[in-house]
Amino acid sequence: MTDPHPRFTSDDFGSDHPSAAIAALSALVRDGSPHGFDPGFRQRVLSSVKSHRDATIGAALERHFVRIVPLAAAATLLLAGYNWWGGRTTSETTLDAALNLPRVTLAAAYEPAQLFGATIAASENP
Amino acid sequence: MIAFASDAELLALARAGDDRAFGVLVDRYETAVAATVIGMLGRGDEAEDVGQETFIRFHRALHNFRGDSSLKTYLVHIAMNLSINALRRRRRALLRFVDEDDAVDVAPEPRVGPAGEVDAKELQAVVQDAVARLGAKHRAVVVLRLFHEYSTRETAQILGVPEGTVLSRLSRAMKELETQLAPYVQAGAALPETIR
Repeated sequence: MTDPHPRFTSDDFGSDHPSAAIAALSALVRDGSPHGFDPGFRQRVLSSVKSHRDATIGAALERHFVRIVPLAAAATLLLAGYNWWGGRTTSETTLDAALNLPRVTLAAAYEPAQLFGATIAASENP
Repeated sequence: MIAFASDAELLALARAGDDRAFGVLVDRYETAVAATVIGMLGRGDEAEDVGQETFIRFHRALHNFRGDSSLKTYLVHIAMNLSINALRRRRRALLRFVDEDDAVDVAPEPRVGPAGEVDAKELQAVVQDAVARLGAKHRAVVVLRLFHEYSTRETAQILGVPEGTVLSRLSRAMKELETQLAPYVQAGAALPETIR
Protein backbone atom coordinates (compact mmCIF):
# COMPACT_ATOMS: atom_id res chain seq x y z
CA MET A 1 0.00 0.00 0.00
CA THR A 2 1.27 3.48 -0.81
CA ASP A 3 2.27 5.68 2.09
CA PRO A 4 -0.25 8.57 2.14
CA HIS A 5 2.34 10.85 3.76
CA PRO A 6 5.59 10.07 1.99
CA ARG A 7 8.70 11.28 3.80
CA PHE A 8 11.64 12.83 2.08
CA THR A 9 14.86 11.31 0.89
CA SER A 10 18.06 13.03 -0.08
CA ASP A 11 17.18 12.15 -3.71
CA ASP A 12 14.36 14.67 -3.52
CA PHE A 13 16.72 17.52 -2.76
CA GLY A 14 19.97 16.62 -4.46
CA SER A 15 22.91 14.66 -3.13
CA ASP A 16 24.49 17.65 -1.36
CA HIS A 17 21.76 17.60 1.33
CA PRO A 18 22.35 15.05 4.08
CA SER A 19 19.13 13.33 5.14
CA ALA A 20 19.26 14.59 8.76
CA ALA A 21 19.44 18.19 7.58
CA ILE A 22 16.57 17.55 5.15
CA ALA A 23 14.44 16.04 7.87
CA ALA A 24 15.13 18.93 10.26
CA LEU A 25 14.45 21.58 7.63
CA SER A 26 11.33 19.77 6.37
CA ALA A 27 9.97 19.46 9.90
CA LEU A 28 10.70 23.12 10.56
CA VAL A 29 8.92 24.29 7.41
CA ARG A 30 5.97 21.95 8.05
CA ASP A 31 5.62 23.14 11.65
CA GLY A 32 5.74 26.73 10.49
CA SER A 33 2.96 26.31 7.92
CA PRO A 34 -0.16 28.49 8.36
CA HIS A 35 -2.85 26.78 10.44
CA GLY A 36 -5.95 28.72 9.41
CA PHE A 37 -7.56 32.00 8.49
CA ASP A 38 -8.74 34.59 11.00
CA PRO A 39 -11.53 33.39 13.36
CA GLY A 40 -15.03 33.28 11.83
CA PHE A 41 -13.87 32.05 8.42
CA ARG A 42 -16.69 29.46 8.21
CA GLN A 43 -19.38 32.11 8.74
CA ARG A 44 -17.82 34.40 6.18
CA VAL A 45 -17.73 31.59 3.63
CA LEU A 46 -21.35 30.59 4.29
CA SER A 47 -22.60 34.17 3.94
CA SER A 48 -20.61 34.55 0.71
CA VAL A 49 -22.11 31.32 -0.61
CA LYS A 50 -25.61 32.50 0.34
CA SER A 51 -25.23 35.90 -1.31
CA HIS A 52 -23.74 34.24 -4.38
CA ARG A 53 -26.68 31.81 -4.50
CA ASP A 54 -29.22 34.67 -4.14
CA ALA A 55 -27.50 36.58 -6.92
CA THR A 56 -27.58 33.45 -9.09
CA ILE A 57 -31.31 32.92 -8.50
CA GLY A 58 -32.01 36.60 -9.24
CA ALA A 59 -30.00 36.44 -12.45
CA ALA A 60 -31.80 33.25 -13.53
CA LEU A 61 -35.22 34.80 -12.90
CA GLU A 62 -34.21 37.91 -14.81
CA ARG A 63 -32.99 35.78 -17.70
CA HIS A 64 -36.27 33.84 -17.86
CA PHE A 65 -38.33 37.02 -17.50
CA VAL A 66 -36.54 38.69 -20.39
CA ARG A 67 -37.11 35.58 -22.52
CA ILE A 68 -40.79 35.19 -21.67
CA VAL A 69 -41.98 38.81 -21.84
CA PRO A 70 -41.76 39.24 -25.68
CA LEU A 71 -43.57 35.91 -26.22
CA ALA A 72 -46.31 36.85 -23.76
CA ALA A 73 -46.71 40.28 -25.37
CA ALA A 74 -46.97 38.74 -28.86
CA ALA A 75 -49.54 36.18 -27.67
CA THR A 76 -51.62 38.94 -26.00
CA LEU A 77 -51.61 41.04 -29.17
CA LEU A 78 -52.64 38.06 -31.31
CA LEU A 79 -55.50 37.19 -28.97
CA ALA A 80 -56.65 40.80 -28.77
CA GLY A 81 -56.60 41.08 -32.58
CA TYR A 82 -58.55 37.86 -32.96
CA ASN A 83 -61.14 39.02 -30.41
CA TRP A 84 -61.46 42.43 -32.02
CA TRP A 85 -61.96 40.90 -35.47
CA GLY A 86 -64.72 38.60 -34.19
CA GLY A 87 -66.52 41.19 -32.06
CA ARG A 88 -65.97 44.42 -33.96
CA THR A 89 -69.66 44.62 -35.01
CA THR A 90 -71.28 43.46 -31.79
CA SER A 91 -69.13 45.14 -29.11
CA GLU A 92 -69.68 48.66 -27.89
CA THR A 93 -66.08 49.85 -27.93
CA THR A 94 -62.82 48.69 -29.46
CA LEU A 95 -61.54 47.75 -26.01
CA ASP A 96 -64.63 45.62 -25.37
CA ALA A 97 -64.07 43.92 -28.70
CA ALA A 98 -60.39 43.27 -27.96
CA LEU A 99 -61.28 41.80 -24.58
CA ASN A 100 -64.16 39.79 -26.10
CA LEU A 101 -66.74 41.44 -23.81
CA PRO A 102 -70.33 41.12 -25.16
CA ARG A 103 -72.63 44.11 -25.21
CA VAL A 104 -74.56 44.17 -21.90
CA THR A 105 -78.12 45.52 -21.74
CA LEU A 106 -80.71 45.21 -18.98
CA ALA A 107 -82.84 42.84 -21.08
CA ALA A 108 -79.88 40.69 -22.06
CA ALA A 109 -78.74 40.46 -18.42
CA TYR A 110 -82.09 38.91 -17.38
CA GLU A 111 -82.36 36.46 -20.25
CA PRO A 112 -82.59 32.87 -18.92
CA ALA A 113 -79.62 31.85 -21.04
CA GLN A 114 -77.51 34.48 -19.26
CA LEU A 115 -78.85 33.53 -15.82
CA PHE A 116 -78.80 29.70 -15.95
CA GLY A 117 -76.75 28.88 -18.97
CA ALA A 118 -77.65 28.14 -22.55
CA THR A 119 -78.31 24.40 -22.02
CA ILE A 120 -80.98 24.86 -19.37
CA ALA A 121 -82.61 27.69 -21.28
CA ALA A 122 -82.74 25.60 -24.46
CA SER A 123 -84.39 22.61 -22.69
CA GLU A 124 -87.09 24.83 -21.13
CA ASN A 125 -87.92 26.59 -24.43
CA PRO A 126 -88.00 23.95 -27.17
CA MET B 1 -23.81 13.96 14.91
CA ILE B 2 -23.08 15.85 11.71
CA ALA B 3 -19.59 16.91 12.83
CA PHE B 4 -18.46 13.28 12.79
CA ALA B 5 -20.06 12.36 9.46
CA SER B 6 -17.81 11.18 6.64
CA ASP B 7 -16.92 13.42 3.72
CA ALA B 8 -19.21 11.39 1.44
CA GLU B 9 -22.18 11.84 3.80
CA LEU B 10 -21.50 15.56 4.18
CA LEU B 11 -21.18 15.94 0.41
CA ALA B 12 -24.53 14.24 -0.11
CA LEU B 13 -26.18 16.54 2.44
CA ALA B 14 -24.50 19.64 0.98
CA ARG B 15 -25.67 18.67 -2.51
CA ALA B 16 -29.21 18.50 -1.13
CA GLY B 17 -28.82 22.11 0.08
CA ASP B 18 -27.76 21.55 3.71
CA ASP B 19 -25.55 24.55 4.56
CA ARG B 20 -24.63 23.07 7.96
CA ALA B 21 -23.02 20.09 6.25
CA PHE B 22 -21.14 22.41 3.91
CA GLY B 23 -20.01 24.41 6.96
CA VAL B 24 -18.54 21.28 8.52
CA LEU B 25 -16.59 20.64 5.31
CA VAL B 26 -15.31 24.22 5.44
CA ASP B 27 -14.14 23.68 9.03
CA ARG B 28 -12.54 20.37 8.11
CA TYR B 29 -10.51 21.71 5.19
CA GLU B 30 -9.86 25.30 6.26
CA THR B 31 -6.34 24.41 7.43
CA ALA B 32 -5.41 22.76 4.12
CA VAL B 33 -6.73 25.69 2.08
CA ALA B 34 -5.13 28.23 4.44
CA ALA B 35 -1.74 26.51 4.22
CA THR B 36 -1.92 26.69 0.43
CA VAL B 37 -3.25 30.20 0.07
CA ILE B 38 -1.31 31.91 2.87
CA GLY B 39 1.79 29.96 1.88
CA MET B 40 1.49 31.33 -1.64
CA LEU B 41 0.22 34.86 -0.99
CA GLY B 42 1.14 35.64 2.62
CA ARG B 43 -1.38 36.70 5.25
CA GLY B 44 -3.86 39.43 4.39
CA ASP B 45 -7.15 40.31 2.72
CA GLU B 46 -6.09 38.85 -0.61
CA ALA B 47 -5.40 35.44 0.97
CA GLU B 48 -8.74 35.56 2.81
CA ASP B 49 -10.56 36.41 -0.45
CA VAL B 50 -8.87 33.58 -2.33
CA GLY B 51 -9.66 31.20 0.54
CA GLN B 52 -13.33 32.14 0.37
CA GLU B 53 -13.35 31.94 -3.42
CA THR B 54 -11.94 28.41 -3.17
CA PHE B 55 -14.92 27.26 -1.11
CA ILE B 56 -17.43 29.22 -3.22
CA ARG B 57 -16.13 27.48 -6.36
CA PHE B 58 -16.28 24.16 -4.56
CA HIS B 59 -19.90 24.86 -3.56
CA ARG B 60 -20.74 25.73 -7.15
CA ALA B 61 -19.13 22.48 -8.36
CA LEU B 62 -20.58 20.21 -5.67
CA HIS B 63 -22.57 18.24 -8.23
CA ASN B 64 -19.55 17.85 -10.49
CA PHE B 65 -17.19 16.47 -7.82
CA ARG B 66 -16.86 12.79 -8.68
CA GLY B 67 -14.32 11.84 -6.02
CA ASP B 68 -11.53 10.85 -8.43
CA SER B 69 -9.12 12.51 -6.01
CA SER B 70 -9.52 13.11 -2.28
CA LEU B 71 -11.51 16.17 -1.27
CA LYS B 72 -8.39 17.70 0.26
CA THR B 73 -6.45 17.33 -3.00
CA TYR B 74 -9.39 18.75 -4.96
CA LEU B 75 -9.58 21.82 -2.72
CA VAL B 76 -5.80 22.31 -2.61
CA HIS B 77 -5.82 22.14 -6.42
CA ILE B 78 -8.45 24.90 -6.65
CA ALA B 79 -6.66 26.98 -4.00
CA MET B 80 -3.32 26.63 -5.77
CA ASN B 81 -4.74 27.67 -9.16
CA LEU B 82 -6.52 30.67 -7.65
CA SER B 83 -3.36 31.66 -5.75
CA ILE B 84 -1.25 31.49 -8.90
CA ASN B 85 -3.84 33.65 -10.71
CA ALA B 86 -3.76 36.14 -7.82
CA LEU B 87 0.03 36.27 -7.99
CA ARG B 88 -0.16 36.99 -11.72
CA ARG B 89 -2.64 39.81 -11.09
CA ARG B 90 -0.45 41.18 -8.32
CA ARG B 91 2.59 40.98 -10.56
CA ARG B 92 0.85 42.87 -13.35
CA ALA B 93 -0.44 45.48 -10.92
CA LEU B 94 2.83 46.16 -9.18
CA LEU B 95 5.06 45.85 -12.24
CA ARG B 96 7.78 44.86 -9.87
CA PHE B 97 8.55 47.86 -7.69
CA VAL B 98 10.88 45.57 -5.80
CA ASP B 99 13.72 43.80 -7.53
CA GLU B 100 13.33 40.05 -7.07
CA ASP B 101 17.10 39.63 -7.07
CA ASP B 102 17.56 41.77 -3.96
CA ALA B 103 19.97 40.25 -1.48
CA VAL B 104 18.22 37.76 0.78
CA ASP B 105 18.20 38.70 4.46
CA VAL B 106 19.09 35.88 6.75
CA ALA B 107 16.70 35.32 9.68
CA PRO B 108 17.83 36.80 12.99
CA GLU B 109 18.97 34.61 15.85
CA PRO B 110 15.95 32.77 17.30
CA ARG B 111 14.71 33.47 20.80
CA VAL B 112 15.17 30.17 22.55
CA GLY B 113 13.34 29.38 25.82
CA PRO B 114 14.84 27.83 28.96
CA ALA B 115 14.04 24.30 27.74
CA GLY B 116 15.51 25.08 24.34
CA GLU B 117 12.06 25.61 22.71
CA VAL B 118 11.34 28.14 19.99
CA ASP B 119 8.29 30.42 20.20
CA ALA B 120 5.60 28.92 17.95
CA LYS B 121 4.31 32.23 16.57
CA GLU B 122 7.80 33.48 15.91
CA LEU B 123 8.63 30.27 14.10
CA GLN B 124 5.47 30.46 11.95
CA ALA B 125 6.21 34.07 11.04
CA VAL B 126 9.84 33.32 10.17
CA VAL B 127 8.98 30.24 8.09
CA GLN B 128 6.18 32.02 6.23
CA ASP B 129 8.46 34.98 5.60
CA ALA B 130 11.19 32.69 4.28
CA VAL B 131 8.72 30.86 2.01
CA ALA B 132 7.33 34.19 0.79
CA ARG B 133 10.82 35.20 -0.34
CA LEU B 134 10.98 32.26 -2.73
CA GLY B 135 9.93 32.70 -6.34
CA ALA B 136 6.31 31.71 -7.03
CA LYS B 137 7.21 28.44 -8.77
CA HIS B 138 9.51 27.32 -5.96
CA ARG B 139 6.99 28.45 -3.37
CA ALA B 140 4.25 26.34 -4.94
CA VAL B 141 6.45 23.25 -4.71
CA VAL B 142 7.36 23.95 -1.08
CA VAL B 143 3.70 24.50 -0.14
CA LEU B 144 2.57 21.23 -1.71
CA ARG B 145 5.59 19.09 -0.89
CA LEU B 146 6.45 20.33 2.61
CA PHE B 147 3.29 21.95 4.02
CA HIS B 148 0.94 19.26 2.68
CA GLU B 149 3.46 16.43 2.33
CA TYR B 150 2.21 15.44 -1.10
CA SER B 151 4.45 13.07 -3.02
CA THR B 152 6.54 14.33 -5.91
CA ARG B 153 4.09 12.71 -8.34
CA GLU B 154 1.02 14.31 -6.69
CA THR B 155 2.77 17.68 -6.62
CA ALA B 156 3.61 17.32 -10.31
CA GLN B 157 -0.02 16.44 -11.11
CA ILE B 158 -1.43 19.40 -9.21
CA LEU B 159 1.00 21.85 -10.78
CA GLY B 160 0.86 20.24 -14.22
CA VAL B 161 4.65 19.94 -14.56
CA PRO B 162 6.97 16.91 -14.94
CA GLU B 163 8.24 15.21 -11.78
CA GLY B 164 11.82 16.19 -12.65
CA THR B 165 10.81 19.84 -12.58
CA VAL B 166 9.30 19.39 -9.12
CA LEU B 167 12.54 17.81 -7.87
CA SER B 168 14.78 20.51 -9.26
CA ARG B 169 12.58 23.31 -7.95
CA LEU B 170 12.39 21.68 -4.54
CA SER B 171 16.14 21.22 -4.38
CA ARG B 172 16.74 24.87 -5.18
CA ALA B 173 14.04 26.03 -2.77
CA MET B 174 15.51 23.94 0.03
CA LYS B 175 18.92 25.51 -0.50
CA GLU B 176 17.39 28.98 -0.17
CA LEU B 177 15.35 27.98 2.87
CA GLU B 178 18.38 26.38 4.47
CA THR B 179 20.26 29.65 4.17
CA GLN B 180 17.43 31.67 5.66
CA LEU B 181 16.41 29.28 8.41
CA ALA B 182 19.80 27.96 9.49
CA PRO B 183 19.56 29.35 13.08
CA TYR B 184 16.11 27.81 13.54
CA VAL B 185 17.11 24.42 12.15
CA GLN B 186 19.83 24.27 14.80
CA ALA B 187 17.39 25.24 17.58
CA GLY B 188 14.60 23.08 16.14
CA ALA B 189 15.49 20.00 18.17
CA ALA B 190 13.24 21.29 20.97
CA LEU B 191 10.19 22.55 19.08
CA PRO B 192 7.21 22.82 21.46
CA GLU B 193 4.49 20.16 21.31
CA THR B 194 1.87 22.80 20.53
CA ILE B 195 3.16 23.22 17.00
CA ARG B 196 4.00 19.56 16.31
